[in-house]
Amino acid sequence: MTPLLLILTIAVPAAAGLLVLLLPSRRAPWAPAVLAALACAFELALAIYAFPHDVAFAWSWMGFGAEFALKLSRFSAFILLGIATFSFLVTAYSAVSMAKASSSRRFHAWVLFTVALSAGAVLADNLILFLVFWEGLLLTLFAMIAAGKTRPFATAVKAFVIVGVTDLALMFGVMLTGHLAGTLSMSAIRLPLDGLGAVAFLLLMVGAMGKAGAMPFHSWIPDAAIDAPLPFMALLPGSLEKLLGIYFLARISLDLFVLTPESWVSPVLMGIGAATILLAVLMALVQKDYKKLLAYHAISQVGYMILGIGTALPVGIVGGLFHMLNNAIYKSSLFLSAGAVEKEAGTTDLRELGGLGRSMPITTLCFLIAAASISGVPPFNGFFSKELVYDGALERGWIFYAIALGGSFFTAASFLKLGHAAFFGKPTNAKRTVKEAPWPMLLPMIVLAGLCIVFGVANSLPLERLVQPVLGTAMEGAHGGTFAGFPTNMLLVGLTAGVLALAVANHAFGVHRTGKGIGAVDHIHHAPGLSSVYTLQATGVLDPYRMLVVVVGVASKGLYALDRAIDWVYSGLAAQSALAASWVLRRAHNGNVNRYVLWALAGAIAVVLAVLAVMGGGR
Amino acid sequence: MPRLRLRFAGDLAIIRRRAKGTPSGALPGVQQMESVGNMREGIVLLVAVFAPLAGAFLLPLFGVWSRRLRDVSALVMVLASLGASVALVPGALRGEIVAWSIAGPLGLSFSLSADALAVFMAIVSSLVGSIIILFSFDYIRHYENQNEYYTMAVVFLGAMMGLVFSTNLVYLYVFWEITGIASWRLIGFYRGKADVLKADKAFLMTAFGALVMLIGILAVYGMTGTFDLAAMKGIALPLGISALLLVGLLSKSATLPFQTWLPDAGVAPSPVTALLHAAVLVKIGVYVFARLFLSTFVFDEALRTIVASIAGASALVSAGAALIETDFKRIVAYSTVSQIGFIFLGLAMGNALGAAGALLYILMHGLAKAGLFLSAGIVEQNAGTKDITKLGGLIRSMPWTAVAFLLCAFSVMGIPPFGGFFSKYMVISAAVSGDQLVFGAVFLAGALLTILYLFRLFTKVFLGEPHGVLAPETSRLMVACVVLLAALSLVGGLMVGWPSDLARVAISQMLGVAG
Repeated sequence: MTPLLLILTIAVPAAAGLLVLLLPSRRAPWAPAVLAALACAFELALAIYAFPHDVAFAWSWMGFGAEFALKLSRFSAFILLGIATFSFLVTAYSAVSMAKASSSRRFHAWVLFTVALSAGAVLADNLILFLVFWEGLLLTLFAMIAAGKTRPFATAVKAFVIVGVTDLALMFGVMLTGHLAGTLSMSAIRLPLDGLGAVAFLLLMVGAMGKAGAMPFHSWIPDAAIDAPLPFMALLPGSLEKLLGIYFLARISLDLFVLTPESWVSPVLMGIGAATILLAVLMALVQKDYKKLLAYHAISQVGYMILGIGTALPVGIVGGLFHMLNNAIYKSSLFLSAGAVEKEAGTTDLRELGGLGRSMPITTLCFLIAAASISGVPPFNGFFSKELVYDGALERGWIFYAIALGGSFFTAASFLKLGHAAFFGKPTNAKRTVKEAPWPMLLPMIVLAGLCIVFGVANSLPLERLVQPVLGTAMEGAHGGTFAGFPTNMLLVGLTAGVLALAVANHAFGVHRTGKGIGAVDHIHHAPGLSSVYTLQATGVLDPYRMLVVVVGVASKGLYALDRAIDWVYSGLAAQSALAASWVLRRAHNGNVNRYVLWALAGAIAVVLAVLAVMGGGR
Repeated sequence: MPRLRLRFAGDLAIIRRRAKGTPSGALPGVQQMESVGNMREGIVLLVAVFAPLAGAFLLPLFGVWSRRLRDVSALVMVLASLGASVALVPGALRGEIVAWSIAGPLGLSFSLSADALAVFMAIVSSLVGSIIILFSFDYIRHYENQNEYYTMAVVFLGAMMGLVFSTNLVYLYVFWEITGIASWRLIGFYRGKADVLKADKAFLMTAFGALVMLIGILAVYGMTGTFDLAAMKGIALPLGISALLLVGLLSKSATLPFQTWLPDAGVAPSPVTALLHAAVLVKIGVYVFARLFLSTFVFDEALRTIVASIAGASALVSAGAALIETDFKRIVAYSTVSQIGFIFLGLAMGNALGAAGALLYILMHGLAKAGLFLSAGIVEQNAGTKDITKLGGLIRSMPWTAVAFLLCAFSVMGIPPFGGFFSKYMVISAAVSGDQLVFGAVFLAGALLTILYLFRLFTKVFLGEPHGVLAPETSRLMVACVVLLAALSLVGGLMVGWPSDLARVAISQMLGVAG
C-alpha cells in the first residue's frame, strides 16, 4: 500500500471526468455513462483494497503550513468505501435513466469530479487541502443541478449561495483552528472547546451542517428535488453529502476538538438536531410530490445524526454514524425508486399516481423495504441506528428523546401516505400503461434494499467493522465493547413500537376521513395553528435564503447610498466650490485700475508682514 | 540597505547587489549571490521598461503604413516586456537583485532594480497586458483613433514597468504620472461629452492624489535627504507623512474615499477598462504601498489599523454598490474596488501570510477580473448595450463567453480550485493569525457579497429570458482571449505552488522573514 494508491482514488475519477468531457459525444452517446460506471467500479475496488491499510504522507505544497497531506485512517477508509459504493450504484442507475438526456455527458463528468473531490476531502490531512476539495464540491454541486431539465439555474444559484455561505464559515473556522492550534495538520490538532476554540468549532460545525443539509441550510434541497436530474438527488443530498457532512462533524467532535457532555456546545448540537428532525419532517408530511417529500426527509434524517453525535456519548455517536450509513442506503434507494416511477409513470405528483404496485412489483418491494427502514421498523437497519440515538438522547434529556420519537411518528405517517398514494389504491391515470423499470435501474435498488435488511439483521457487521473502529479506545468498556445486536433497553423498543402503531392508526383515520391515501394526513395539515404555519412556509417567507436576500438587499441599498454620497463630494461639492471660487476671483478682475493698485498694495503689505513674521520667528 | 555602489561614477554601470535585508538561510533553497558586471541582466531590465515605453511612439508611424503591422508591433512590444520579466525569474527565485543605474545630481539618480516583488508585479502586468492588447485587435478596429489607442496603451504598460522597477521616488512619481496621463487619454477614447467628462474626473481625482503624495515624497526627502528607496530602509515615518503618501496610493487604487472615478471610467472601451481597472492601473497603488510600507519604511501600528479599516469599509461599500448597479461594467468596476480592499487588508496585516496573499491576489484578481471585463466587452459590442436589465439569456448565443465569464467569476469569488481561492484564503487568514478577527469577519462578509453580486450579474446577463435578438459571438479571437484568462485562473489555482514560490522570495526580501 503506497501513497500512489491514495492519489489514484482521487486521480482516477478526476481523469475519467476529464475524459468524459473531452469525448466526442455524438458518436457514442452511451460512452459517458459507461465510463463513469467503470471509473466508479474501479474506485470501489480501490476503496475495498485500501480499506484495511493505514497510510499517511505529506508533500510540501505552497508554504504557510499548507501541505499536500493525505491520510487513510479507519474513519476515512469507511467513508471512502461508502462514497465509492454509492457513486457506483448511482452511476450504474443513471447509465439508463440519463441515457437520453442531452446533458448526460456533462452530468457524468460532474459526477466523476464529485467522486474525486469527495475522496480528496475525506483523505485530506491538511486543513487547507481539505478546504480545497470541500469547497471544490460547490462547483460540481452547481454544475450538476444546472444539468437539470427545465430552468434549473435559479435553484443551482440558490444551492451555491447557501452552501457557499456555510463554506465561508468553514473557511473562517479553519483559519481560526489553524491559528489556535499552530498547525494545519488535521491529525495533529486537538483543541479544548472553550473561548475562541468554541467559536472555531461552531464555524466548522456550520460548514459540516451546510454540507449535510441540516436546518437552516436546507432550503435548496426541496427545490433541487424538482429541478435537478434525479440521480443527483440520490447521489448528493441522498448519500454523499450526508457522508461528508457527518464525517466532518464527527471528525471535529472526536478528533480536532474534545466534545464532552459537559460542554455547552453539546446541547447546541442536540438542539439543532432535534429542531431539524421535527421541522423538516412536518414539512415532508404535507408534500404532494414524491421527490419533494423525500427531499424533506433527507433534511429531517440529518437531525438524527447530529443529535446522536451531539450527545457526546459513545452510544449516541455510534448511533449517529450508523444512522448516517443507513440513511445513505435507504435514502438513495428511495430516490432511485422515485426515478423509476418518474421514468415509467411520467410524473412524481402523488395526486396523479396510484396502484403502481401491480405494474412495478420490484420497485414497490424495494420501496417498502426502504420505507420501513427509514420509519424505524425492526428488523431493518434504520430501526437499530435510531434506537442507539434514542438511547443517547434519553440519557442527555427526555425532551430530545421526545422530539426524536415524535419525528419517527411523522416519518412513519408520511411514508404510509406516500406508499399508499403511489403504489396502492386505484390508478388515477389510466391512460398510460406502466411497466416495470429496466434491470440496470432495478439492480441498484435491489442491492440497496438488500443492504437495508443485511445491515439490520446482521448489524454487527457494519457496527463492528465500520462504525465502532472510528471511536477507537473510547469504545472499550462501553456495553461490553459493542453496540451490535438487538437493543437492550426494552422500554425504548416498546415506545418505538407504540409510536409506529400510532402512525398506522393515524393513517387509517386519515384515509377513512378523506377516502384516499393522499389525504391520510390532511387532518394534521389543516389542524388549527399548524395550517397557518404551513401556508406561510408555502409562500416561501420562512425560507432562510429569502431572508438572506432581503437583508443583503436592504444593507446594500444603504451602502450604495453611502457610495453616492462620497461621489457627490467630488462631482457635486468639489465642482460647485471650484465654480464658486472662480466666481469670487472673477469679481476681483473687473478692469478697474484703481482696484488693481489697491490689490497690489495689499499684497505688498502682506508679503512684508510675512517676511517679518518669519524672520522674527527665526530670531 | 547600502546605497548602490556605482563602479564607474557618472558612467553607465551595471551591478548586481546583494540583498542585505534578507537574512541568509532564512528561506531554504534561496541563496544570496553576489556577482558583478553581468551586462545581460541589465539589458533585460532596460528592455522590459523601454521596449514598450519608447517603442510606443513608433506605433502611429506604423499605423500610417499598415494597421496590421501597428497592432502586431504593439503586441510584440508588450510581449518583449513579458519575456524580459520572465527572464528575470530564475535569478529572482535565487534571491538575486538585478540593478541598473545612471548617477544624477541632487539625488536624482535614475535607477532600476528587479527584486522578486518587482519581477512578480512586472509579470502580472505584462502578462495580462499582452492578452488585453491581443483582444484589442478585434475590438478596437471598429472605432476611430486607433493609433492613439495603441500608443497610449503601450505607453501605459511601459510606464507601469518603469514604475515597478524604479527605486528612486522621483522617477517613480514620474512614471506614476505618465500612467495617469495615458489612462486619461484611454478613458476618453470615445469623444462624447459624457465620456470626456468621466475621463477628466478620473484624471483629476488621481492627479489630486498624486500631488498630495508628491508633498509626502518631498517631506520624506526633507527627513532623509535622499530619494533612493534603498537608502531609506528601516526609517520610521511620522503618521502625517504616511497619510500624505497614502492619499496618493488610495486615489490611484480607487479605494474609499476616492473610489468613485473607477466605476465612472467604465465609459472607456472594454480592453481599456480591463487594462486600467482590473489588471494594472489600480494595482499601482497597492504595489507602491507594498514597496514603501512593507519593504522600506517601518510599518506603524496605527497606520496598519487605519489602512485595514479603510480597506474593510471600501470592500463592503463597493460590494453593496455592485449589488444595486445595473450597468455591466460599473458592477465589475465596483467589484474591483471591493477586491482591492482585500489586497490592502493582506498588506496591512504586515505578516508574511498576508503579504504573500496580497501578491497572489494581485495576480489572481488581475487574470480573472480582466476576463470579466473582456466578457463585458464581448457582450457590449455584440448586444449593443451594457444595461443588465436589457440583457438576458445570452448563454444560448454566447456559450463560450458565458462559461468563461462564470469561471472567472468563480475565481473572483474565491472558489477552489481557482486561483482566487488561495489568495482570498491567505489574506483573510492573515487577519485571523494577526488576532484581527473583526477584520477577518468584515472581509468574510465581503466575500459573501462577492458571491452574491457576481451571481446576480451572471444570472441577469446570461440566464433568464432574452430581450430582443440574442447577439452571437462574432470574434473568435476575442472569445479565445477570455477563455485563455479563465484557463489561466484555473491553472493559477492548480499550480499555485509556482507563483507562491516567487511570492515567498519577495516576502523574505521585503520583511526579512521566511514565508
